[in-house]
Amino acid sequence: MTLHLLYIDPGSGSYLVQVIVAGALGVAFFFKNIGRFIKNAWWYVRSLFTRSQKNNT
Amino acid sequence: MTQQITQPLDSSFRDPSGFVFEKDGTIYRQVNKIFRDDFDNFIGSGCYDQLIEKQWLIPHEEIDKNFTGSPGWYKTLKPQRVPYITYPYEWCFDMLKDAALLTLQLTRECTQFGIILKDATPFNVQWLDGKPVFIDTLSFERYDESKPWIAYRQFCENFLSPLLLMHYSRQPLQSLSSAYPDGMPLSLTRSLLPWRSKFSFHTYLHIHMHERLSSRSAGKENQKENTLLFSKKKLFRLLDSLYSLTNSLQWKGDATTWGQYYEEANQRDDYVLQKKKVTIEWLSQLSGTASAIDLGANEGVFSFLLAAKNMKTIAADSDHSSINRLYQKTKKEREKNILPLLIDLANPSSAIGVNNKERISFIERTNCDLGLALALIHHLSIGKNIPFGKIAELFRSLADQFIIEFVPKADPKIQLLLKGKKDIYNDYNQENFVHSFEKYFLVQKKQEIGNSGRTLYMMKRHG
Repeated sequence: MTLHLLYIDPGSGSYLVQVIVAGALGVAFFFKNIGRFIKNAWWYVRSLFTRSQKNNT
Repeated sequence: MTQQITQPLDSSFRDPSGFVFEKDGTIYRQVNKIFRDDFDNFIGSGCYDQLIEKQWLIPHEEIDKNFTGSPGWYKTLKPQRVPYITYPYEWCFDMLKDAALLTLQLTRECTQFGIILKDATPFNVQWLDGKPVFIDTLSFERYDESKPWIAYRQFCENFLSPLLLMHYSRQPLQSLSSAYPDGMPLSLTRSLLPWRSKFSFHTYLHIHMHERLSSRSAGKENQKENTLLFSKKKLFRLLDSLYSLTNSLQWKGDATTWGQYYEEANQRDDYVLQKKKVTIEWLSQLSGTASAIDLGANEGVFSFLLAAKNMKTIAADSDHSSINRLYQKTKKEREKNILPLLIDLANPSSAIGVNNKERISFIERTNCDLGLALALIHHLSIGKNIPFGKIAELFRSLADQFIIEFVPKADPKIQLLLKGKKDIYNDYNQENFVHSFEKYFLVQKKQEIGNSGRTLYMMKRHG
């Protein structure tokens, strides 16, 4: 262990880490939402397509 | 007349906001003036009432009296008493997981009231009526939305680290928690976790990346940190991520030989049935027995008998899988009287922490009305080479009265224990057993269990 680590209060902080972690979670959340939007859109288009096929028969 | 000064408990010294003390057998918590604003805000905002309604926090009543005579006194609280204090290194995996989830839920709930939890240590959680409950009423401070969660690192070290290590290694690692009561250093967790844990996004963020970034920035003067702004939305993301990670962790340890103990024992004629019959009969003759400890409880078949008699029962066993299963069972059946605990009687939890007084030893904490030691003595005596005299000495400090089963050497289970090891147990016989226990106990009853060759004893501590 590096000497300076011995002087750090382990209970406090990790402020910078939390900002970065929360940022990473935000990015993940953003892409997850895009994924969810594409998935929903795909199911919507598919249901429209199957409905029109049923109407034609 | 000199005024008697009441001292804080040996475990209560870290937080200047107040301390816990005992007076005339009652536990009190003093709130110091320094914490007045935060405490009044916690009560006044409705946060306390909400947490009490959800049964997440220990309720208290306010006493308008300065028992300690300290000039920093603001208020005295009398919290509901927790019948038996336990420590995280005595909890099974699922108990630690539930305590972690409670801590996160509590933190999220408090923010609605403009309050946040400033500590995230499992020592602030205890077990009441089969459920985890937060006990530190002075851990709630005013929430500043621009600041990150002060207890984030503490949560990762105290809850997430042991849970992740047990999840991935499939080994009970409670002894690591007792070696690091202030939390497992993230560098240690990171080095012990398998490489594949990096593929878990949340594990990567909260352990691997957390440790790397904090070890790089540690010791460097970082003025930027004070200017970094956080938000409630970011805090919720962080808490949700910790919650979903914690909730996804599971105890996947292999079933041990003890897993099928009762299944196998039940097949031995009507041995377990006979034993239950005698035990139930003896229990029905007892009066004023409020607390009990079932030593070597396994999956708690006999602990449930004690609980049914309304005894607050500690079900202790050294086998992690058995205790974890018992905990799941008590949760499912909403059994309020059973407290499953991971205790190795050959090495019970010792006193640890500052001055070796901060956390009390298992023996010092335990003094029940009744003890149960069924099919256990031979495991301690022959399995662990502990003489009867030392076992009797241990039992004397745990309970006032005992129901003990003696298994003779000719029993197939003892023969199994002796297989592959030299029989040096010439002193192992019923006569020596009774003689050793009579030093501390008075034999009240004795009955053979059917045709099993095993004998049940009821004993009472002298004096």
